[in-house]
Amino acid sequence: MTTAIADKLQAMASKLETTPHLLRLGALFSETVLIEIDDHEYYLTFEKGRVAAFNAGASRRTPWRFALRTDKDAIQQFWAFMPAPGFHDIFGLVKIGRGRIEGDILCLVKNLRFFKEFMVLGRQEETI
Amino acid sequence: MTTTIEQITGRYATLKVNGTPQRIYFEEAGQGRPVLCFHTAGADTRQWRHILNDPELTRHNRFIAPDMPWHGKSLPPEGWHTQEYLLSTQAYMDTVLAFADALQLHRPVFAGCSMGGRIALQLARHHAARFSGFIAIEASDFQPAWYDIDWFHRPDAPGGEMGAALVSANIAPQAPEAERWNTQWMFMQSGPGVFRGDLAFYTRDSSLVGQLGQIDTSVAPVHIMVGAYDLTCTPEDARRTADAIPGATLDVMPGIGHFPMSEDPKRFRPHFEKALNLMP
Repeated sequence: MTTAIADKLQAMASKLETTPHLLRLGALFSETVLIEIDDHEYYLTFEKGRVAAFNAGASRRTPWRFALRTDKDAIQQFWAFMPAPGFHDIFGLVKIGRGRIEGDILCLVKNLRFFKEFMVLGRQEETI
Repeated sequence: MTTTIEQITGRYATLKVNGTPQRIYFEEAGQGRPVLCFHTAGADTRQWRHILNDPELTRHNRFIAPDMPWHGKSLPPEGWHTQEYLLSTQAYMDTVLAFADALQLHRPVFAGCSMGGRIALQLARHHAARFSGFIAIEASDFQPAWYDIDWFHRPDAPGGEMGAALVSANIAPQAPEAERWNTQWMFMQSGPGVFRGDLAFYTRDSSLVGQLGQIDTSVAPVHIMVGAYDLTCTPEDARRTADAIPGATLDVMPGIGHFPMSEDPKRFRPHFEKALNLMP
Protein backbone atom coordinates (compact mmCIF):
# COMPACT_ATOMS: atom_id res chain seq x y z
CA MET A 1 0.00 0.00 0.00
CA THR A 2 1.02 3.60 -0.38
CA THR A 3 0.40 5.86 2.55
CA ALA A 4 -0.71 8.79 0.41
CA ILE A 5 -3.53 6.86 -1.27
CA ALA A 6 -4.59 5.24 2.01
CA ASP A 7 -4.67 8.64 3.69
CA LYS A 8 -6.69 10.06 0.80
CA LEU A 9 -9.29 7.28 0.98
CA GLN A 10 -9.56 7.65 4.75
CA ALA A 11 -9.97 11.38 4.37
CA MET A 12 -12.78 10.72 1.90
CA ALA A 13 -14.42 8.39 4.41
CA SER A 14 -14.25 11.15 7.01
CA LYS A 15 -15.64 13.69 4.58
CA LEU A 16 -18.52 11.33 3.84
CA GLU A 17 -19.49 11.59 7.52
CA THR A 18 -20.01 15.32 7.08
CA THR A 19 -21.89 15.07 3.78
CA PRO A 20 -25.53 14.49 4.81
CA HIS A 21 -27.00 14.12 1.33
CA LEU A 22 -24.55 11.33 0.51
CA LEU A 23 -25.34 9.51 3.76
CA ARG A 24 -28.99 9.71 2.76
CA LEU A 25 -28.30 8.49 -0.81
CA GLY A 26 -26.21 5.60 0.51
CA ALA A 27 -28.59 4.54 3.24
CA LEU A 28 -29.25 1.21 1.49
CA PHE A 29 -25.65 0.63 0.41
CA SER A 30 -23.84 -1.98 2.50
CA GLU A 31 -21.12 -3.53 0.39
CA THR A 32 -17.36 -3.91 0.25
CA VAL A 33 -15.61 -2.15 -2.63
CA LEU A 34 -12.09 -2.85 -3.78
CA ILE A 35 -10.05 0.09 -4.99
CA GLU A 36 -6.87 -1.16 -6.60
CA ILE A 37 -4.19 1.36 -7.50
CA ASP A 38 -1.37 -0.27 -9.45
CA ASP A 39 -0.87 -3.45 -7.40
CA HIS A 40 -2.01 -1.98 -4.11
CA GLU A 41 -5.39 -3.03 -2.72
CA TYR A 42 -7.70 -0.94 -0.57
CA TYR A 43 -10.95 -2.37 0.77
CA LEU A 44 -13.75 -0.01 1.73
CA THR A 45 -16.58 -1.67 3.61
CA PHE A 46 -19.67 0.50 3.49
CA GLU A 47 -22.44 -0.02 6.02
CA LYS A 48 -25.65 1.88 5.29
CA GLY A 49 -23.70 4.55 3.43
CA ARG A 50 -20.90 4.93 5.95
CA VAL A 51 -17.40 3.52 5.69
CA ALA A 52 -17.48 1.04 8.55
CA ALA A 53 -14.10 -0.51 7.81
CA PHE A 54 -11.05 0.39 5.76
CA ASN A 55 -8.30 -2.13 5.10
CA ALA A 56 -5.21 -1.52 3.01
CA GLY A 57 -3.06 -4.35 1.76
CA ALA A 58 -3.42 -7.48 -0.29
CA SER A 59 -6.12 -9.88 0.81
CA ARG A 60 -7.61 -13.00 -0.69
CA ARG A 61 -10.03 -13.36 2.16
CA THR A 62 -11.94 -10.14 1.73
CA PRO A 63 -14.95 -10.60 -0.55
CA TRP A 64 -15.85 -7.52 -2.53
CA ARG A 65 -18.92 -6.61 -4.58
CA PHE A 66 -17.24 -4.56 -7.27
CA ALA A 67 -13.79 -3.17 -7.92
CA LEU A 68 -12.24 -0.12 -9.51
CA ARG A 69 -8.73 -0.81 -10.74
CA THR A 70 -6.54 1.99 -12.02
CA ASP A 71 -3.04 3.41 -11.67
CA LYS A 72 -1.62 6.07 -9.38
CA ASP A 73 -1.14 8.72 -12.04
CA ALA A 74 -4.68 8.22 -13.36
CA ILE A 75 -6.34 8.42 -9.93
CA GLN A 76 -4.33 11.52 -9.10
CA GLN A 77 -5.49 13.11 -12.34
CA PHE A 78 -9.04 12.01 -11.46
CA TRP A 79 -8.73 13.84 -8.15
CA ALA A 80 -7.38 17.02 -9.76
CA PHE A 81 -9.55 20.11 -9.37
CA MET A 82 -10.31 20.26 -13.11
CA PRO A 83 -9.48 16.85 -14.58
CA ALA A 84 -8.71 16.45 -18.26
CA PRO A 85 -11.16 14.65 -20.58
CA GLY A 86 -11.39 10.98 -19.67
CA PHE A 87 -9.97 11.53 -16.20
CA HIS A 88 -13.14 13.30 -15.08
CA ASP A 89 -15.21 10.19 -14.36
CA ILE A 90 -14.66 6.57 -13.32
CA PHE A 91 -16.21 5.43 -16.61
CA GLY A 92 -13.93 7.87 -18.37
CA LEU A 93 -10.92 6.06 -16.93
CA VAL A 94 -12.30 2.87 -18.43
CA LYS A 95 -12.99 4.53 -21.76
CA ILE A 96 -9.43 5.83 -22.12
CA GLY A 97 -7.93 2.52 -21.04
CA ARG A 98 -6.67 3.72 -17.66
CA GLY A 99 -9.15 1.86 -15.48
CA ARG A 100 -11.23 -1.28 -15.15
CA ILE A 101 -14.47 -1.85 -13.30
CA GLU A 102 -15.11 -5.45 -12.34
CA GLY A 103 -17.46 -7.56 -10.29
CA ASP A 104 -21.17 -6.91 -9.80
CA ILE A 105 -21.56 -3.99 -12.21
CA LEU A 106 -25.32 -3.89 -11.74
CA CYS A 107 -24.79 -3.30 -8.01
CA LEU A 108 -22.51 -0.42 -8.90
CA VAL A 109 -25.00 1.04 -11.38
CA LYS A 110 -27.86 0.80 -8.88
CA ASN A 111 -25.74 2.85 -6.48
CA LEU A 112 -23.89 4.81 -9.10
CA ARG A 113 -24.67 8.34 -7.98
CA PHE A 114 -23.64 7.54 -4.41
CA PHE A 115 -20.39 5.82 -5.38
CA LYS A 116 -19.39 8.41 -7.99
CA GLU A 117 -20.01 11.24 -5.56
CA PHE A 118 -18.03 9.38 -2.90
CA MET A 119 -15.07 9.07 -5.28
CA VAL A 120 -15.29 12.77 -6.09
CA LEU A 121 -14.91 13.59 -2.38
CA GLY A 122 -11.18 13.19 -3.01
CA ARG A 123 -11.14 15.87 -5.67
CA GLN A 124 -9.03 18.93 -4.93
CA GLU A 125 -10.89 22.10 -4.19
CA GLU A 126 -10.31 25.29 -6.11
CA THR A 127 -7.45 27.34 -4.73
CA ILE A 128 -7.84 31.08 -4.79
CA MET B 1 -37.24 39.19 -6.02
CA THR B 2 -38.30 40.44 -9.42
CA THR B 3 -40.58 38.07 -11.29
CA THR B 4 -39.30 36.88 -14.65
CA ILE B 5 -41.64 35.54 -17.29
CA GLU B 6 -39.70 33.90 -20.07
CA GLN B 7 -40.40 34.41 -23.75
CA ILE B 8 -40.83 30.67 -24.37
CA THR B 9 -44.35 29.51 -25.19
CA GLY B 10 -45.52 25.90 -25.11
CA ARG B 11 -48.33 24.32 -27.11
CA TYR B 12 -49.55 20.92 -28.23
CA ALA B 13 -50.03 19.57 -31.73
CA THR B 14 -51.95 16.36 -32.33
CA LEU B 15 -50.90 14.77 -35.59
CA LYS B 16 -50.71 11.37 -37.15
CA VAL B 17 -47.36 9.65 -37.55
CA ASN B 18 -47.72 6.57 -39.74
CA GLY B 19 -51.44 6.51 -38.94
CA THR B 20 -50.98 6.74 -35.17
CA PRO B 21 -52.22 9.89 -33.42
CA GLN B 22 -49.46 11.55 -31.40
CA ARG B 23 -50.01 14.49 -29.08
CA ILE B 24 -46.74 16.37 -29.29
CA TYR B 25 -45.73 19.14 -26.96
CA PHE B 26 -43.45 21.80 -28.36
CA GLU B 27 -41.87 25.01 -27.16
CA GLU B 28 -41.22 27.96 -29.36
CA ALA B 29 -39.48 31.32 -29.27
CA GLY B 30 -38.25 33.86 -31.77
CA GLN B 31 -39.09 34.89 -35.28
CA GLY B 32 -37.65 34.46 -38.75
CA ARG B 33 -35.82 31.40 -40.02
CA PRO B 34 -37.33 28.22 -38.54
CA VAL B 35 -34.89 26.06 -36.58
CA LEU B 36 -36.08 22.70 -35.25
CA CYS B 37 -34.30 21.74 -32.03
CA PHE B 38 -34.36 18.08 -30.95
CA HIS B 39 -33.33 16.78 -27.54
CA THR B 40 -31.11 13.85 -26.55
CA ALA B 41 -32.18 10.39 -25.47
CA GLY B 42 -33.94 10.15 -22.11
CA ALA B 43 -34.64 13.89 -21.88
CA ASP B 44 -36.89 16.56 -23.31
CA THR B 45 -37.13 20.01 -24.82
CA ARG B 46 -36.01 21.72 -21.62
CA GLN B 47 -32.45 21.02 -22.73
CA TRP B 48 -32.91 23.88 -25.22
CA ARG B 49 -34.25 26.39 -22.68
CA HIS B 50 -31.28 28.74 -22.82
CA ILE B 51 -31.21 28.96 -26.60
CA LEU B 52 -34.96 29.67 -26.68
CA ASN B 53 -34.46 32.40 -24.10
CA ASP B 54 -31.58 34.06 -25.94
CA PRO B 55 -32.70 37.56 -26.97
CA GLU B 56 -30.14 37.91 -29.75
CA LEU B 57 -30.47 34.48 -31.34
CA THR B 58 -34.28 34.67 -31.28
CA ARG B 59 -34.24 37.96 -33.14
CA HIS B 60 -33.79 36.21 -36.47
CA ASN B 61 -34.42 32.57 -35.65
CA ARG B 62 -37.72 30.92 -34.81
CA PHE B 63 -36.69 28.05 -32.57
CA ILE B 64 -39.17 25.19 -32.26
CA ALA B 65 -38.29 22.44 -29.80
CA PRO B 66 -40.65 19.45 -29.50
CA ASP B 67 -40.73 16.66 -26.97
CA MET B 68 -40.55 13.43 -28.91
CA PRO B 69 -43.50 11.09 -28.26
CA TRP B 70 -43.02 9.32 -24.89
CA HIS B 71 -40.81 12.21 -23.70
CA GLY B 72 -41.44 15.24 -21.51
CA LYS B 73 -45.02 16.46 -21.89
CA SER B 74 -45.74 14.48 -25.05
CA LEU B 75 -47.86 11.49 -24.12
CA PRO B 76 -47.03 8.06 -25.38
CA PRO B 77 -49.52 6.73 -27.96
CA GLU B 78 -52.72 5.02 -26.92
CA GLY B 79 -52.01 1.45 -25.88
CA TRP B 80 -48.51 2.22 -24.62
CA HIS B 81 -49.04 0.14 -21.50
CA THR B 82 -48.77 -3.07 -23.53
CA GLN B 83 -46.00 -1.87 -25.85
CA GLU B 84 -42.25 -2.11 -25.55
CA TYR B 85 -40.87 1.30 -26.49
CA LEU B 86 -38.07 0.85 -28.99
CA LEU B 87 -37.36 3.88 -31.17
CA SER B 88 -36.46 3.06 -34.76
CA THR B 89 -34.69 5.16 -37.36
CA GLN B 90 -37.72 5.11 -39.63
CA ALA B 91 -40.20 6.07 -36.89
CA TYR B 92 -37.90 8.86 -35.73
CA MET B 93 -37.53 10.32 -39.23
CA ASP B 94 -41.26 9.96 -39.87
CA THR B 95 -41.99 11.83 -36.62
CA VAL B 96 -39.70 14.72 -37.53
CA LEU B 97 -41.14 15.04 -41.04
CA ALA B 98 -44.76 14.80 -39.84
CA PHE B 99 -44.10 17.44 -37.19
CA ALA B 100 -42.48 19.80 -39.70
CA ASP B 101 -45.43 19.27 -42.06
CA ALA B 102 -47.95 19.86 -39.28
CA LEU B 103 -46.35 23.21 -38.50
CA GLN B 104 -46.05 23.99 -42.22
CA LEU B 105 -42.34 24.65 -41.96
CA HIS B 106 -40.56 25.23 -45.24
CA ARG B 107 -37.03 23.83 -45.23
CA PRO B 108 -36.20 24.50 -41.57
CA VAL B 109 -32.72 24.16 -40.16
CA PHE B 110 -32.54 20.93 -38.16
CA ALA B 111 -30.51 21.00 -34.93
CA GLY B 112 -30.32 17.88 -32.79
CA CYS B 113 -28.11 16.58 -30.02
CA SER B 114 -26.91 13.02 -29.40
CA MET B 115 -29.69 10.83 -30.77
CA GLY B 116 -31.01 14.09 -32.21
CA GLY B 117 -27.62 14.53 -33.86
CA ARG B 118 -27.74 11.02 -35.25
CA ILE B 119 -31.19 11.60 -36.72
CA ALA B 120 -29.87 14.86 -38.19
CA LEU B 121 -27.35 12.80 -40.15
CA GLN B 122 -30.01 10.25 -41.11
CA LEU B 123 -32.24 13.06 -42.38
CA ALA B 124 -29.28 14.55 -44.25
CA ARG B 125 -28.78 11.16 -45.88
CA HIS B 126 -32.42 10.45 -46.75
CA HIS B 127 -34.35 13.75 -46.79
CA ALA B 128 -31.81 16.53 -47.31
CA ALA B 129 -34.06 18.57 -49.58
CA ARG B 130 -36.64 18.93 -46.84
CA PHE B 131 -34.23 21.00 -44.76
CA SER B 132 -31.99 23.99 -45.35
CA GLY B 133 -29.16 22.67 -43.19
CA PHE B 134 -28.18 20.37 -40.35
CA ILE B 135 -26.49 21.12 -37.04
CA ALA B 136 -25.56 17.69 -35.72
CA ILE B 137 -24.41 17.98 -32.11
CA GLU B 138 -22.55 15.12 -30.40
CA ALA B 139 -23.23 13.19 -33.60
CA SER B 140 -21.48 10.30 -35.24
CA ASP B 141 -22.15 7.49 -37.68
CA PHE B 142 -22.57 4.84 -35.00
CA GLN B 143 -21.83 4.24 -31.32
CA PRO B 144 -21.98 0.81 -29.77
CA ALA B 145 -23.13 0.82 -26.15
CA TRP B 146 -20.46 0.81 -23.45
CA TYR B 147 -23.20 -0.18 -20.99
CA ASP B 148 -26.08 -2.63 -20.92
CA ILE B 149 -29.16 -0.73 -22.05
CA ASP B 150 -31.37 -3.17 -20.12
CA TRP B 151 -30.02 -1.71 -16.88
CA PHE B 152 -32.35 1.22 -17.42
CA HIS B 153 -35.66 -0.60 -17.32
CA ARG B 154 -35.89 -3.04 -14.45
CA PRO B 155 -38.51 -3.60 -11.76
CA ASP B 156 -35.90 -3.54 -8.99
CA ALA B 157 -34.10 -0.29 -9.74
CA PRO B 158 -34.87 3.33 -10.64
CA GLY B 159 -33.98 3.52 -14.32
CA GLY B 160 -34.15 7.29 -14.47
CA GLU B 161 -31.78 7.86 -11.59
CA MET B 162 -29.40 5.21 -12.84
CA GLY B 163 -29.48 6.75 -16.29
CA ALA B 164 -28.73 10.18 -14.87
CA ALA B 165 -25.80 8.83 -12.87
CA LEU B 166 -24.44 7.12 -15.95
CA VAL B 167 -24.77 10.07 -18.31
CA SER B 168 -23.19 12.38 -15.74
CA ALA B 169 -19.96 10.81 -17.02
CA ASN B 170 -20.57 12.90 -20.13
CA ILE B 171 -20.84 16.25 -18.38
CA ALA B 172 -17.67 18.34 -18.34
CA PRO B 173 -16.24 19.31 -14.94
CA GLN B 174 -16.41 22.95 -16.03
CA ALA B 175 -20.23 22.85 -16.19
CA PRO B 176 -21.92 25.16 -13.68
CA GLU B 177 -23.21 23.13 -10.75
CA ALA B 178 -26.83 24.19 -11.17
CA GLU B 179 -26.94 23.29 -14.85
CA ARG B 180 -25.14 19.99 -14.23
CA TRP B 181 -27.97 18.93 -11.96
CA ASN B 182 -30.73 20.45 -14.09
CA THR B 183 -29.42 18.34 -16.96
CA GLN B 184 -29.54 15.17 -14.87
CA TRP B 185 -33.00 15.95 -13.52
CA MET B 186 -34.54 15.46 -16.96
CA PHE B 187 -33.09 11.96 -17.15
CA MET B 188 -34.37 11.19 -13.68
CA GLN B 189 -37.84 12.25 -14.82
CA SER B 190 -37.98 10.25 -18.03
CA GLY B 191 -40.73 7.64 -18.26
CA PRO B 192 -40.06 3.98 -17.52
CA GLY B 193 -38.19 2.32 -20.34
CA VAL B 194 -37.89 5.49 -22.42
CA PHE B 195 -34.13 5.95 -22.06
CA ARG B 196 -33.65 2.26 -22.85
CA GLY B 197 -35.87 2.55 -25.95
CA ASP B 198 -33.95 5.60 -27.14
CA LEU B 199 -30.66 3.81 -26.63
CA ALA B 200 -31.95 0.93 -28.72
CA PHE B 201 -32.11 3.41 -31.58
CA TYR B 202 -28.79 5.02 -30.78
CA THR B 203 -26.70 1.91 -30.16
CA ARG B 204 -28.40 -0.77 -32.26
CA ASP B 205 -30.87 0.34 -34.91
CA SER B 206 -29.32 3.45 -36.39
CA SER B 207 -26.03 3.05 -38.21
CA LEU B 208 -24.65 5.23 -40.96
CA VAL B 209 -21.45 3.25 -41.33
CA GLY B 210 -20.60 3.18 -45.02
CA GLN B 211 -23.34 5.68 -45.93
CA LEU B 212 -21.84 9.01 -44.95
CA GLY B 213 -20.35 9.58 -48.40
CA GLN B 214 -23.86 9.64 -49.80
CA ILE B 215 -24.79 12.76 -47.87
CA ASP B 216 -24.92 15.65 -50.33
CA THR B 217 -23.98 18.82 -48.48
CA SER B 218 -24.60 20.90 -51.61
CA VAL B 219 -28.31 20.31 -50.99
CA ALA B 220 -28.10 21.15 -47.28
CA PRO B 221 -24.91 21.82 -45.33
CA VAL B 222 -23.91 19.62 -42.39
CA HIS B 223 -22.10 21.07 -39.39
CA ILE B 224 -21.01 18.68 -36.64
CA MET B 225 -20.28 19.87 -33.10
CA VAL B 226 -18.74 17.83 -30.31
CA GLY B 227 -17.71 18.48 -26.72
CA ALA B 228 -14.17 17.60 -25.70
CA TYR B 229 -15.47 15.81 -22.58
CA ASP B 230 -18.03 13.67 -24.40
CA LEU B 231 -17.31 10.02 -23.61
CA THR B 232 -20.24 8.70 -25.64
CA CYS B 233 -19.54 10.48 -28.90
CA THR B 234 -15.90 11.43 -28.55
CA PRO B 235 -14.17 14.12 -30.61
CA GLU B 236 -12.50 11.25 -32.50
CA ASP B 237 -15.92 9.77 -33.33
CA ALA B 238 -17.19 13.13 -34.56
CA ARG B 239 -14.03 13.78 -36.56
CA ARG B 240 -14.24 10.37 -38.24
CA THR B 241 -17.85 11.15 -39.14
CA ALA B 242 -17.18 14.66 -40.43
CA ASP B 243 -14.22 13.46 -42.49
CA ALA B 244 -16.45 10.94 -44.26
CA ILE B 245 -19.07 13.52 -45.29
CA PRO B 246 -17.84 15.59 -48.25
CA GLY B 247 -18.15 19.27 -47.35
CA ALA B 248 -19.11 18.75 -43.70
CA THR B 249 -17.63 21.06 -41.09
CA LEU B 250 -16.59 20.23 -37.52
CA ASP B 251 -16.31 22.20 -34.28
CA VAL B 252 -14.68 20.59 -31.23
CA MET B 253 -15.80 22.51 -28.15
CA PRO B 254 -13.34 22.69 -25.23
CA GLY B 255 -14.68 22.34 -21.70
CA ILE B 256 -18.00 20.90 -22.84
CA GLY B 257 -19.55 17.43 -22.63
CA HIS B 258 -22.43 15.59 -24.27
CA PHE B 259 -25.23 18.05 -23.40
CA PRO B 260 -23.79 21.41 -24.45
CA MET B 261 -26.94 23.54 -24.64
CA SER B 262 -28.09 22.33 -21.24
CA GLU B 263 -24.97 21.66 -19.17
CA ASP B 264 -23.06 24.85 -20.03
CA PRO B 265 -25.17 27.33 -21.99
CA LYS B 266 -22.70 30.23 -21.83
CA ARG B 267 -19.81 28.17 -23.12
CA PHE B 268 -22.01 26.63 -25.83
CA ARG B 269 -23.62 29.82 -27.12
CA PRO B 270 -20.79 31.17 -29.32
CA HIS B 271 -20.34 27.75 -30.90
CA PHE B 272 -24.06 27.50 -31.67
CA GLU B 273 -24.16 31.04 -33.02
CA LYS B 274 -21.31 30.12 -35.34
CA ALA B 275 -23.23 27.01 -36.42
CA LEU B 276 -26.33 29.05 -37.18
CA ASN B 277 -24.23 31.43 -39.26
CA LEU B 278 -23.04 28.49 -41.34
CA MET B 279 -26.62 27.65 -42.26
CA PRO B 280 -28.15 29.32 -45.35
